Amino acid sequence: MYNEIYKNSKVRKSYNKIYDWAKSLPENIIVKKKNEAENLFKKIGITFSVYNNFDSTERLIPFDMFPRIISGVEWKKIKEGVIQRALAINAFLNDIYNSGEIVKAKIIPEDLIYKNPAYEIKMVGFKVPKRIYSPIIGSDIVRINEKTFKVLEDNCRTPSGVSYMIENREIMMRMFPELFEKLKIETVENYPNYLLNILKSLSPKKCNKDPKVVILTPGSLNSAYYEHSFLADLMGVELVQGGDLFVDESITYMKTTKGPEKVDIIYRRIDDKFIDPISFDSSSLIGIPGLFDSYKSGNVNICSAPGSGIADDKAIYSYIPDIIKFYLGEEPVLENVKTWRCYKDDEKKYVLNNLEKLVVKEVHGSGGYGLMIGTKSPKKEREKFRKKILKNPENYIAQPVLELSSVPIFDKNKLSPRHVDLRPFCLVGANKTRLVNGGLTRVALKEGSLVVNSSQGGGVKDTWILNE
Amino acid sequence: MKIRITHSTTYKYNLTVPKLIQCLKLYPSVCDNQEILKWNTTSNTGKIVESHIDALGHRVQNIFLNNFNGQLKITSRGILKTKNFSGVVRGLKEKVNPLCFLRETDLTKPCEKIKEISRKVQGNYKDEVEFAHKLNLVVSNSIDYVSGSTTTSTSSKEALRQKKGVCQDFAHILISIARQNRLPARYINGFLLEETTSGENTTHAWAEIFIKHLGWVGFDPSHKRCIDEKYIRVSSGFDFIDASTIKGVKTNYSGDEFLDTKVNVESCQ
Amino acid sequence: MLSRTAENLFWSARYIERADSLARLLEVGYRISLIPNTEAGYNNEWESILETSGIKNQFLKKYKTISKEKIIFYLLFDLENPSSVKNCITSARENIRMVRTAVTLEVWNAINSSFHELDKNLRDTKNILKELPEIIEWIKKQVNLIRGTILNTQLINDGYDFLILGTYFERADFTARIINVKYFILLPSINYVGSDIDNFQWSLMLRSISSFRAFKWAYGGQDINYIKIIDFLILNMTCPRSLIFSVEKIHHHLDRLNKFYKQNSTSKKKIEFMYKNLKNLSANKITDIGLHEFLKSFIEEINFVYKKFEQKYFFGLEK
Repeated sequence: MYNEIYKNSKVRKSYNKIYDWAKSLPENIIVKKKNEAENLFKKIGITFSVYNNFDSTERLIPFDMFPRIISGVEWKKIKEGVIQRALAINAFLNDIYNSGEIVKAKIIPEDLIYKNPAYEIKMVGFKVPKRIYSPIIGSDIVRINEKTFKVLEDNCRTPSGVSYMIENREIMMRMFPELFEKLKIETVENYPNYLLNILKSLSPKKCNKDPKVVILTPGSLNSAYYEHSFLADLMGVELVQGGDLFVDESITYMKTTKGPEKVDIIYRRIDDKFIDPISFDSSSLIGIPGLFDSYKSGNVNICSAPGSGIADDKAIYSYIPDIIKFYLGEEPVLENVKTWRCYKDDEKKYVLNNLEKLVVKEVHGSGGYGLMIGTKSPKKEREKFRKKILKNPENYIAQPVLELSSVPIFDKNKLSPRHVDLRPFCLVGANKTRLVNGGLTRVALKEGSLVVNSSQGGGVKDTWILNE
Repeated sequence: MKIRITHSTTYKYNLTVPKLIQCLKLYPSVCDNQEILKWNTTSNTGKIVESHIDALGHRVQNIFLNNFNGQLKITSRGILKTKNFSGVVRGLKEKVNPLCFLRETDLTKPCEKIKEISRKVQGNYKDEVEFAHKLNLVVSNSIDYVSGSTTTSTSSKEALRQKKGVCQDFAHILISIARQNRLPARYINGFLLEETTSGENTTHAWAEIFIKHLGWVGFDPSHKRCIDEKYIRVSSGFDFIDASTIKGVKTNYSGDEFLDTKVNVESCQ
Repeated sequence: MLSRTAENLFWSARYIERADSLARLLEVGYRISLIPNTEAGYNNEWESILETSGIKNQFLKKYKTISKEKIIFYLLFDLENPSSVKNCITSARENIRMVRTAVTLEVWNAINSSFHELDKNLRDTKNILKELPEIIEWIKKQVNLIRGTILNTQLINDGYDFLILGTYFERADFTARIINVKYFILLPSINYVGSDIDNFQWSLMLRSISSFRAFKWAYGGQDINYIKIIDFLILNMTCPRSLIFSVEKIHHHLDRLNKFYKQNSTSKKKIEFMYKNLKNLSANKITDIGLHEFLKSFIEEINFVYKKFEQKYFFGLEK
């Protein structure tokens, strides 16, 4: 297991200054600062959120003050790799929804695409504005050793967590301004601005003015509502719900006190099936009737495009290195995690024989659900998955149990290592691809735990990319 | 042969509809089997907005109504010149890979009965065409045609259980069993020229099965045959719901909706 | 701004005003109940309060019999009563929560803390009558706090107009209803108009809407009488709870919205008409028309203005 701060019990260069600082903090100051951080979160939370009350026990994701540091050299490679993936993923989506060259070339089995419910046939042949299907991609990266970062998954639909990236930095800057003088740390505050510009570059065919962008949220009961309102506020755009939008004569409008106002670009934070009850799920109450036809007639853009989800399907994931080679003619900068695909007989056999060593994942599961960690699960649970795999092999993949790298947290005011991952947010626009120099570091707060998901006891840290 | 069609759908509302949006797929398929000599879709309320040509080649149109009272009547009229290619659909302009039509839907999910029928028909066939014909025949005999015996939401499983159904159910069963045998299959809405005693026609539905060396082939299990020059193809989809020719959503409407359809199909010179 | 945002702001303020009115109503009931039961008409004050707020039937469905404690609890805390103070404050908070970024942190804090502290006031359901004055004081204090933060911290833009409109649409409606009830329900019979009981009840009511001294000032310390009361509560621009005051405010803010959006609106035209009519009226003229008839048509007209206002700004139906 890779320890990001120590090398043979000596502190690594990039962490030197921060380590000295952490060690110099008296215990009472740590406690004080922890409380201060909490209060600041609540304050900012209240400022932006309708989700938290200052005296409620309902809290934001736990925050740890010890920053995670990534050197400029390390970041250069991550950045290159993430951008490469984001471009390849968009090229892939454009291909499979049009000519399907990658299938014809027999690089990806046709069943995996065409039988996949995530492949939206309504999108076939449609010219998506600027050929960009997934403008915001959050790839989850884990560090295996000194040299190796691997991508665990890509989130191409509506990746969340970016508000924490921005907020964590805000808190750290307010609490420890002196650290930002000692170290040169890349800024992340441009993100909302970049996001707005990227979205604006994706205006639909029938839009000749400065495009009107809105964020579409399922509503205040959604767990990411806080982030939706946070982004809308920082981008200076309206946060709308389905009922605020309507379609008339193929044009999408939002209801305002001034009268209907045309909307050009919808950054949607809702699932495909809730977009439009006419074209998708007819039982959906939060959709906008007629929106999909408005989209296809070129009057409005929906970001990400419906059907983008196929690219982050776990079955497709294992082909991303091939996808990169096929469309970009480059070797992948970041490796994938070794993946066994159970729909292949020999790989399935290996998985069934090695269940206790592997992590088995449902192809369509997410957020740490539908997952079995072989090393940690009792025999009964493993046997349950064995049956499931035998019944529906195409629904499962398996990966080795990863040794996520560790970074210290302040645990009872002492430094103590915990496993982390990293989610940078790549923005793909019409002429520009941007990656803010930073990301969200998620940390498993439980000692020894490898699950960093916030829904299962994970926390967050500020991530510092050093400007060297 | 030349076929003239008049097809009207009337929706009646007892209260004011604040907002109504409909998506129409009423234009006959553009393919070599049917040459569209004349076609026109109109609405008694005025404007029909052209939207786009969708992935399956449908010409999609929309109707938008605000604070609407009374009745909405959508009428299509036209003349087509048809050809018989022994069931094969030629020259269809669509972009969707046929393998997509191996996916199951709620209305066409394979049940035990389907699997059972499927086991019975296994054997040596000259080619996929022969096998498909066999499936069509088996499905034709699997239930009785009884008009009004099922509703629009009846699945293939339910139709098989009650052993009766209408053209929609025959099509769903054929689709389920074809997909079960790894043959892509889909639902087709259209018209059929047939002699009727009442002089009134209805819309018709059948299935298409994808056969590698031929492409999409139309099978009509409720008539135990392949499609010919008497068939007019209009819309396609995974199942009845997906292939609907008119789909609509009413916003904030609490009243009732009454539906009436009138079809006239006749040969002409 | 989004129609939904405007609607949420409007209703939040409207619910706050409603909670305030309810508290004042309860105060009337409380004060009357302290007076010995010497004459008929005195002891049904709690029942008339249920009538005033239009919820007597709902109440009877739940409780079958009428008791002071039950009524007070029902009006203040009962979640089954859609217009209890508790539900008003909860709805006010819900509405603001949906559009959290449209108000200042101060306004949010004031509403949010009212919501969280309300329950702390309920210590003992059995002795609710004893605690009532304190609870009423607290509600009035919170409402003033919320209103104060709105006035002092909000930007004076269209959002501000929707907040203020919520307050005055509710107040106009409430004042009209309370005058109506005072004359047609609270008094044992119409013959009591002008009697001692009548005047006594008025003085209590004026006190409860914090207008007793204002009335004295306005009419130079004269005794309370029917005509002066009508003049004061309907036609006097210096009384912040008079109908004409609310109408003038609604007119002012609808006019501001017209200018802000550079548009005309039916609601503004109608309220202007109402305002002009009220200005030309006198208390004697109202008694000629008949107070009840006057109030009935006033309530209808103000509802019409509201309908038009709602259609234009919330539903986008008036272009």
